Amino acid sequence: MSPERTLKYGTADSRSAPFQVSMVRRLGMVGVMSNEKVLKDLQNAILKYDSTAAVNAAKAAISAKMDPLVAIEKGLVPSIEQIGEKFERMEIYLPELMLAADAMKSALVLLLPLIPKGAKGAKATIVIGTVQGDVHEIGKNIVSSMMMANGFNVVDLGVDVKTINFIDEAKKNGAKIIGASALMSSTIGSQKDIVDYLGASGDRRKFAVLVGGGPTTKEWAKEIGADGCGMDAIEAVKLAQKFSKGR
Amino acid sequence: MVQILDVMDKALNGKPMSETDYQLRLFAPKVQEKVKEYKIKYDPNNPIPSDNSLADDLFEAGMELLVDVGAYCTSSGRIISYTESEIKAALKNAPSKLHFGEGRDRKSLVHRNVEDKIPPWCLLGAGGGACSSDRSFLTLVEGYAEIPETNAITTPAITRVSGMRVRPASPLEILAAMRNAVLAREACNRVGRQGIPIMNSLATAESDIAFAAALHPKFGMRQSDGYMICCMDPMKVDFARLNKATVALSLGGAIGMCFGPLIGGYSGGPEGTAVSNVAHHMMGILTYQSSWLLPFPLHLRYVASSPRDMVWLVAASSQAINRNTHLLSINLNYTTAGPCTPMCLFETSATVTAAVVSGHSIECLGVATNKHEDRTTPVEPRISAEVGHAVAGMKRSEANELVKGLLAKYESKLSAPPLGKGLYECWDPDTRRPTKEYRGVIKRYKSVMADLGVQLKPEM
Repeated sequence: MSPERTLKYGTADSRSAPFQVSMVRRLGMVGVMSNEKVLKDLQNAILKYDSTAAVNAAKAAISAKMDPLVAIEKGLVPSIEQIGEKFERMEIYLPELMLAADAMKSALVLLLPLIPKGAKGAKATIVIGTVQGDVHEIGKNIVSSMMMANGFNVVDLGVDVKTINFIDEAKKNGAKIIGASALMSSTIGSQKDIVDYLGASGDRRKFAVLVGGGPTTKEWAKEIGADGCGMDAIEAVKLAQKFSKGR
Repeated sequence: MVQILDVMDKALNGKPMSETDYQLRLFAPKVQEKVKEYKIKYDPNNPIPSDNSLADDLFEAGMELLVDVGAYCTSSGRIISYTESEIKAALKNAPSKLHFGEGRDRKSLVHRNVEDKIPPWCLLGAGGGACSSDRSFLTLVEGYAEIPETNAITTPAITRVSGMRVRPASPLEILAAMRNAVLAREACNRVGRQGIPIMNSLATAESDIAFAAALHPKFGMRQSDGYMICCMDPMKVDFARLNKATVALSLGGAIGMCFGPLIGGYSGGPEGTAVSNVAHHMMGILTYQSSWLLPFPLHLRYVASSPRDMVWLVAASSQAINRNTHLLSINLNYTTAGPCTPMCLFETSATVTAAVVSGHSIECLGVATNKHEDRTTPVEPRISAEVGHAVAGMKRSEANELVKGLLAKYESKLSAPPLGKGLYECWDPDTRRPTKEYRGVIKRYKSVMADLGVQLKPEM
């Protein structure tokens, strides 16, 4: 963040030009240092899997009138990316990945509402869940956390999610992408139901539908008319990036 | 003795906790605490450890884990706690021998010790892998039933009913589960093994309603079959699963809880997952009222049980159970590679060896991560069973060298394994034999096994 931008939030009075210049320099420097600390706190909160610290750091960012996009992109995202990479290398495991994602989510709850709609840098929203009749959550949790690690706004609907709920929540949250996970060969039929329902209700073009989970394959995704199948979390993220602006 | 009503009482009155808090803030750190406290250490140089103190420490750590965290009921949002004395009583009262099957196919599943000469119970088939049609289902199950070592069948899962894709907890799933029962019995009848038990009853029934519906006697399921109920990782249960347990108990059926802790999942690395695997055994006999167990630990990255740390986990946790209890436990293994590849056969050989010399019996197997329809044949379970019989009685140190030799054959290819061929590309349903190409693969594989010191049956 530039000192000028910091100052814009940091000063409220109107003074003479020379005084303003001096204040710009002085407050600007103070602002940068303060912001650096806030960013560091945001980063550390994620790296330490600490939701409380993440909330405190997000509050500090708001108090400091920091641009929320900067707080997210320079504070939260680099750390959650590091976490994602460590998980891929299996240097950390699912609990750490999920706790870091939880910490990120706690901070985002405070920061995201402050970003003007359509602001440059705002990430796409994805609604994700395990399909109706299926209560397996591990694969979905990994993808959900990795999506978050890659800057997506993730709305996690949990497990055993009814077809209509995927669609209602996608509409309600302005999502571009629906992610549907299924672990059982007896439950992947529900992934088809999401695609079919969108088609029948004239909403198919509004959402990219990505599928994943134990028995899902690229052939299956093609057969049911889904937009892609993530064979693992990394591929799921790549697909989501491809469809982040819509189908 | 903890019985199903006690489980319900605990599920309704246990400590309230969110699911996230249970798995992330209670279970996961407690597992790591036990690993640290007992100094459990994975040794990549010895994928089959011979260290009895490691096995005993794992057992103690697993029991303490269950005492500390209990099981979790997602329906009530409460912890199902057990005292150490309840766990010990359950272990003492658990059967060390069970009969399955009818007539001349009626056999006994018995407890095996570490390095036991008793051959493993061979539960052979697809481990619930998806098949595309009734024809494929029958072809596979007939093939499994004809394997001489088969003690029981683990069927594939049916995915379609009259051309319609199954939907969970719908009439389609109920009809598919009924069809699963009818066709499994029909396939065994066709090859003259009418009495053979089905022990993953019922692979197609994910929901409790489909499970209960398909147990009507007219569909052919018997009290002497095995009733598999899958646990949600980590150590979780819901009312639907308890419904299944209650129905199976009411029929006098023997429940086998299947559970798959993941390396890389809630239990962390190989050490934590080994502790979790042990704890799940004890949790299964209590919460799911299991009289036999069906562990299938998997590797999160490879979705298989053949990587080196997985082989260690299977060996170490099996030794922990079999040195310290008389439980009946059957390890299910998955390969990354598919049919008609030597890699698939080397992978299953490694995991089977680890399980069998460590005292477990075997369920074989999920081929090519059990992901693809019709990508499995009767060959892979047959070879697995031959290996299981061949290594029974082998010393762990000898098995360790064998497994190291096997790992050298496939370890570097785990990230990009060959998927091999589909069922009809390498299995002839009319002659009920593998194709000439696959027979060649098997012969070459058996020659390598002989070089590694394991003489398998000559291949016709």
